[in-house]
Amino acid sequence: MATPCINKFSRLTAVVFIFSISCFQGFVYSNSATNVDSVEDFFKSGHTNNWAVLVDTSRFWFNYRHVANVLSVYRSVKRLGIPDSQIILMVADDMACNPRNPRPATVFNNANQNINVYGDDVEVDYRGYEVTVENFIRVLTGRLPPSTPRSKRLLSDERSNILVYMTGHGGDGFLKFQDAEEVSSVELADAFEQMWQKQRYHELFFMIDTCQAESMFQKFYSPNLLAVASSRVGEDSLSHHVDPALGVYVIDRYTYYALEFLETVKPGSKKTMAQFFKVCPKHHCISTVSTRTDLFKRNVTDTLLTDFFGGVRNVELLTETVSLDKIDLPPNNDLTNSCSKDSCATNENTKFTFPDQIPKVLI
Amino acid sequence: MAVPASPELPTMLFVFIFIITCSTSVAQKDEFTEELLIKPLSRGYVYSHFQFTTKWNASIHDLRTFSHYNLFPKSLGEVLVRYGVQELHLSQTQGLWRHKLWGYPVHDAPPGAELWVWFKPSVKDIDGAWTDLVNAVSGLFCSSLNFLDSKSTIVPRWSFRPLGLASKSTSPFSRSVRYGALPKEIVCTENLTPWKKLLPCDSKAGLSTLFNAFHFHEANYHSLGLHVRPICADEACTQEAIELSQSLSVVTDVVSTSYTGSPNWQIRSLFGNHLVSACPIAAKSTIMVDITNNVDQSSFRLTPSPTITDTIKRGPHEHTYAVYDVRQFTQSNRVLNIEATFNQPPVLVELSPPPIHTHRFITGYGLEDGGISCLIHNTLSSNQSILYLDLLPWFTRVKFNTLEVVNNGKAVPYKVHYVPAKDRSRPHHLELSLTLWANSVTRVHFTFTRAYLKWTEYPPDANHGFYISSAVITALVPSTLEYTGPPQASSRLDSMFANQPLGASKPRFLVRIHTESLLVSLPTPDFSMPYNVICLTCTVVAIAFGSIHNLTTRRLVPYDPASKKGLLSKVKAFLQKIFKKSPTTAGQGDQPAQVNEGIQELTEDKSALGTDEKHSSQES
Repeated sequence: MATPCINKFSRLTAVVFIFSISCFQGFVYSNSATNVDSVEDFFKSGHTNNWAVLVDTSRFWFNYRHVANVLSVYRSVKRLGIPDSQIILMVADDMACNPRNPRPATVFNNANQNINVYGDDVEVDYRGYEVTVENFIRVLTGRLPPSTPRSKRLLSDERSNILVYMTGHGGDGFLKFQDAEEVSSVELADAFEQMWQKQRYHELFFMIDTCQAESMFQKFYSPNLLAVASSRVGEDSLSHHVDPALGVYVIDRYTYYALEFLETVKPGSKKTMAQFFKVCPKHHCISTVSTRTDLFKRNVTDTLLTDFFGGVRNVELLTETVSLDKIDLPPNNDLTNSCSKDSCATNENTKFTFPDQIPKVLI
Repeated sequence: MAVPASPELPTMLFVFIFIITCSTSVAQKDEFTEELLIKPLSRGYVYSHFQFTTKWNASIHDLRTFSHYNLFPKSLGEVLVRYGVQELHLSQTQGLWRHKLWGYPVHDAPPGAELWVWFKPSVKDIDGAWTDLVNAVSGLFCSSLNFLDSKSTIVPRWSFRPLGLASKSTSPFSRSVRYGALPKEIVCTENLTPWKKLLPCDSKAGLSTLFNAFHFHEANYHSLGLHVRPICADEACTQEAIELSQSLSVVTDVVSTSYTGSPNWQIRSLFGNHLVSACPIAAKSTIMVDITNNVDQSSFRLTPSPTITDTIKRGPHEHTYAVYDVRQFTQSNRVLNIEATFNQPPVLVELSPPPIHTHRFITGYGLEDGGISCLIHNTLSSNQSILYLDLLPWFTRVKFNTLEVVNNGKAVPYKVHYVPAKDRSRPHHLELSLTLWANSVTRVHFTFTRAYLKWTEYPPDANHGFYISSAVITALVPSTLEYTGPPQASSRLDSMFANQPLGASKPRFLVRIHTESLLVSLPTPDFSMPYNVICLTCTVVAIAFGSIHNLTTRRLVPYDPASKKGLLSKVKAFLQKIFKKSPTTAGQGDQPAQVNEGIQELTEDKSALGTDEKHSSQES
């Protein structure tokens, strides 16, 4: 009996809330008729910061293409304005400095070798054995040991738009990590739910390039999730082309066409997610690209691509002056109390010495 | 009133002067120098060592030091002060330094990553601080140093004494040092990027503009080093300073990478670019070329000619360097591209083997037992005492009783410190102090048993094998043959030119070398075995058991039409009567019905079969 009551009540509050928002918007429109466009833009996106979690789950040289996939997406989001500090890059194996790589310190996503996606300015946050299901879930949910450095944390909030890109080998309802373990679609859905409950995202765009990729987002149930997958259940996701000099496939089809589209996007672009969903028609991808929009509140035709792939830094200007207190250093006495016998040695005018490199007792 | 105050006046004056000197020393600018040492090695290899030294005239023990930064990187300073670090030495290396061929590098480093830290004596929970520190450092340098847990960390007893200043109260067997190594750690561009961001000029100006990841990673050896330690601020050593030494070493095989096979090299061919600027912040920006073996230009000629040519005597040996002042060259000529042109036919530089060099390898066969041997060569004509440190993972169970140190068939006396491993929590830690006889080879050998891991403990590429980190040999040698390290007082390379300390008639030089890291294979299960077993069992049950059970439990009994009919057959008969109206269908329909009814299965057997099936599904 209690549940319908609550539902009714919440519906009522929602109506009141929407009413108040529309009132407020009306107020804004009436007040600043000249700045209508800019104000509208400001309210539309609803997020104040962007994060990206890019995961390659495959180890071994023959999975070069998965590393190239994830690094290409990394390059794109960085180019569109998400800083390195807000990108968590997980790469399960080292392809750039792999002894089998004839061109060390490079990863190319095309046999033409136009773009070195590894570049000179890449920051890999989780690499090699660190790329595990546990670490991935911990990064998403924020349940990391206290001493974890900032670069390895997803420090998002309820106003963050997050892009989660995954690539690797998968099957119906799972994605393999490192050829040793796997994350299931249910675990992933629960992790996103936990993120939602902890207010760790505002909107989340999940993108996955693997076989039977669609199965990974079918179990999602948290709000504001938007998902795209490279293939349907029962379909394989295929690679695009081989680089004969490397002897391995260098990129997957879906990511290849997605990147082709992303390369045309500039930071101020008005391209929408609906356009992005159509980047790889079946005759290009061979697999069927599948999307999920039912959990997403906005219309994908109105959602800008840069809401997820670009970085925003909305600056709020304050009209009043904020005075900051001058922080005084602790007086000398406090420090002398806290320091030990050794650390206070500077106070005495002693001569310091270098210790013997081999203890005298041994000579 | 003035008279009683006068005795205090000198004291006041002294305090005043003291404060002024203190404040001026604080106000003194940090000093940053950039240097590059190029040394031609045997067989046409060229060793390039970049040395960036930041000297911060402040005490590492004073907490107020870390509230304001000038040239010292703040990201690193915060980590140091947070975890009470007194000294930190980190190296990330790809490739193996071959001591016998190449002599000694400026900073020796093992393949993979190595970190050793001295914590301040005031730090109480050192294990906790170490755990947090390795996490912080791994975040700072994009490395996996967070794998340096208690399973791969030791407290060295004799080796790894503080390289910088330490108070006299520090006991020689202090517990506040930690050492850990990751021989498998990959070093790639993502490690170079954060490392070079710590430099005051980044890679925008100065020698760091020569950093080119493609050339470094194509090289035979490539090592990034970062060392922080307290040193003397002045000659008299009354004040402390913090020294940050960042070094990058590359060994390039010039002969085999050049298209013509010529041993000629130039800065452009080594690093892909020539030098156009000196770092404006640097107090000194120099390039030194070691021409000890080429003083008479018998082997190669250098163009342009150096600013000065300097010869120093260190111990019994003389070293000659061609020194280029980068600022002077880049201002007058715009570019600096030092070029070594070899005489025809080319005579390559040949180095003599250095005083101490080693070779370490795995002995034995099979997956049960094994042994580790380390051959330590002493080419000196005098006895040499050394320290040997070995760190082995817990799963190579060392048999301590098999430890033997043999020289020329005779056992060598040694002093040993051995901490046995604890499964899954502590590695084996072996330290030896021994004397190498003159011109001899000493063999350190012990055997081990390979342990079984739990199946979740295997890494994803278990069949690749498991690495054992390098052994470390520390010695104070009287010779500087092929020795490039700076003296202890400063990490700057030009401090080699400083006057030798007085009274040191027989100076000794610290040599710390790392042996090869080893790869052992452990008994590795077939990880798909459980899956195969399940599949096979199910198939056997389904095919063999099912049909056999069916055959053995099913009984064929003749159908007796006179027997009493059940309810179902009554209904069937009734329905057949109704549908008998159409004669064709009835005739066809009757025949199979009778055949089916000819065999009657016993209901008791059916239920027995059902329970059996339940049993088999639970087992699988």
